Amino acid sequence: MARPKIVRAPTTASLPNNLRIPSSTPSLTKSLGRLSRQALLDLAFTWLDDRNIASFPPYLQSNEEDSPDDDEALPYPAGETIEEVRQVYEDLQDRKGAKREVLERILEGDWRHGITLRQLAMADLRYMDDHPASLRWTALELSQIDTKRKNSKTPPPADWSGSVPRMQAATFVQGLQREISPLVKAHYHLTHSATLPLTFLRIFVVDSPYQSPRQAAEIFTDSSRVIYVAFPDSCPYVYISIAASSGSKAAPLANLLTTDTRTLQRLARFSLQATSLAAKNLPTLLALRGPGRSTASNGAFSIFADAAIEGSPLDPRPSNTVSPEEHIGVSHSGPAEGKENTDSSANKRRYSGIDTGLLSPDSKKRRLAIQSRFGTLGSSLAPAPLDRLDIRLLDKPGSSEDQDEDVDDSTSTLPAVSLTFAGADVIGGIRALAELGIIDPGRMPSWMTGEEGVSVATVRQGQRLQKDI
Amino acid sequence: MATSTTRAPATPDPEEEELDTEISSIRAEIQNLQKHKRILTSSLLTTDPIQKLLKQPKPRAETNPTDPLSTISPLVHAAGAHNSSNHHRIAFGATAFPFKDPSPTASAATLLGVRIDVCARNGRFAKPYYILLQQERTRARPGPSSGSGASSKVLKVYRHTVPGFISIAKLERVYLPRSGASRGAGNEDGDGGVSSGEDEDAEPAKPWKKSSTRKQDLRGFVRELRRELVAWHMRVDAVEFLREKLGLVGEGGGSLPFDVSPDRDTGIVSLAAVALEARYVRVEWVDGRVGRFKLSNAGVVERAVVIGDEGRDKKIENAITGGGGRVETVLDRLRVDVLSGSPGL
Repeated sequence: MARPKIVRAPTTASLPNNLRIPSSTPSLTKSLGRLSRQALLDLAFTWLDDRNIASFPPYLQSNEEDSPDDDEALPYPAGETIEEVRQVYEDLQDRKGAKREVLERILEGDWRHGITLRQLAMADLRYMDDHPASLRWTALELSQIDTKRKNSKTPPPADWSGSVPRMQAATFVQGLQREISPLVKAHYHLTHSATLPLTFLRIFVVDSPYQSPRQAAEIFTDSSRVIYVAFPDSCPYVYISIAASSGSKAAPLANLLTTDTRTLQRLARFSLQATSLAAKNLPTLLALRGPGRSTASNGAFSIFADAAIEGSPLDPRPSNTVSPEEHIGVSHSGPAEGKENTDSSANKRRYSGIDTGLLSPDSKKRRLAIQSRFGTLGSSLAPAPLDRLDIRLLDKPGSSEDQDEDVDDSTSTLPAVSLTFAGADVIGGIRALAELGIIDPGRMPSWMTGEEGVSVATVRQGQRLQKDI
Repeated sequence: MATSTTRAPATPDPEEEELDTEISSIRAEIQNLQKHKRILTSSLLTTDPIQKLLKQPKPRAETNPTDPLSTISPLVHAAGAHNSSNHHRIAFGATAFPFKDPSPTASAATLLGVRIDVCARNGRFAKPYYILLQQERTRARPGPSSGSGASSKVLKVYRHTVPGFISIAKLERVYLPRSGASRGAGNEDGDGGVSSGEDEDAEPAKPWKKSSTRKQDLRGFVRELRRELVAWHMRVDAVEFLREKLGLVGEGGGSLPFDVSPDRDTGIVSLAAVALEARYVRVEWVDGRVGRFKLSNAGVVERAVVIGDEGRDKKIENAITGGGGRVETVLDRLRVDVLSGSPGL
């Protein structure tokens, strides 16, 4: 894998996995320091695993002999064998202590010769697994471009599920590399998430055509140069993280985004379409634009997604005598069970907030109305919290018809009213307001119940318009 | 008194704790028994003799208000109705129901709901799948296409709970075409112009077909959708069955930790579906060979690729796809003694 680094010539290859970032880089300490102690230990064990040891060799005494003029002042003596290094981390695992000691051990001890790009990528993705809400994601839909509609009259194809483009992430990376290599250098890291049914692609971009860029080492930990693409399993969606970039750095990233589409089109005649959903939480995206049941039924229809109103056909009890908790909690043995993250445990907690105890008939009525409007969504613990909801209203202010006629055409370009809700869980908040009696659950439009499953919408007369105007 | 109050919370009596746990366990048992009782009562109410008894002596029940049968009759009726709808769900797999959208801005018409039940391998039913269809009124189109009247009702999928890898949009395009959607009609016209005479030759007797849209076929739509859902469940079950056979599934149904001993007969260390869809299955052998095979909807292995250190292992590939290709017997075909006993290729 090691490429000779003597000749510096522009190439079209990607940045190598084993390009080392000096361990003394302060920002490296910062970016690794985001991880918890356990995560750092897990990473060290992964690097020291027999199958990976060739890719991430630790600094051993034999390395010391190669470069004798290395200063001896470093606090950690180099290990003799890999076994010895492993033992050190196992001891750290058994002992309780600060995160700092593991971090220092990694950076100043066993990987003092530098952290490779791949190691950094692994650390970043581990952080993402631990903090699924750390980035803002936009969901895009893959749709086939109908260049030749052969089957418009021929008998329908037998395989309906074949319509999901089978994304081979590796092929995608190859195509992407071919497209962008003349412009920028990139490092790619592909991995399947440990906690979510997603495949992550981490792309790190440097604007230099050279194999070993001479930029400051700081650049490698610059998070605005990293773009994440997530491919959820078995569904025609792609999530792309919006890097919080500003100024000049945004240029290559914007480039990248456009090439994404172009690459895809070239590869498989697919186009990416916006689905008006951006959220901070990956589970939210999976619930609203994922392979599960809840993608196309939310708000009032979430009772169907959760199968909360009717039981299995083998249940002899009439369904109106069984509580929704029981319907959801019943061990339906669907194949998706356990793979969907927003499963029964979350659902049970969602219901715990509702207790029909001593209530006046008025509030009981309201409660029923709320339940019919929101379904199972957004009660005490929503599975899909939206952090932001932007609504543009196209209705003219002032409901009376006569006024509208008096106004002539020049003033009909009324300022559109835009509403922005932001918070930890917007739909849950609206539900809470309805429960308090501030919002009338019977009269509110359906976009307030999260029924559309979008974070951006244009609304006219309570109906979401499909195309943004 | 002050001393006693301070002492009590500091050291909880072990006896008290014991009593607490006992109380909670008894409460749980009571709940279980109550649940059981409810299931028993409702199944008792749905039994044939009781339902028959209720139907036969009708005149007497009306004359005598103190008859115990008349007081429980609403319950029995509800149970009977539920029972018959359950029978429909089990027997036909697809049932329809009306649903009113609670949204104030929604159109007044009720939605047509379709419920699809799929039975899994362990005899249980999966969570039902729902499709809610919206009725749309379309204006009368000139020509003989809208035969029934001036305006015709057209169905459109509004909401559904079908997993993402089954393309509802595609099914809808084929089985529930809408004339109102100009896109579909335009494309079709364009197609007719571009494509060669094949299509026209196929339907020479129906010249009007080209300008009009096809009829909506809700039955076909539900049939194809249900077929696809059942095929998915069967694929998942087949993979699960193979995993059980290999001993990769633990006691509680969950998968065992990573390092399991390889299967003795086949040398397979891992076998799992690649994604939720369970279309592809990945197999790993103890000697480092890795394979992947594709399952068809009918449960046949369509294709297989096995790669070892020396490239493709054609012998194993042929064993996986050969012999009828049933996925259930794939492990029998992969047994080491069978493979070595069979003549080389």
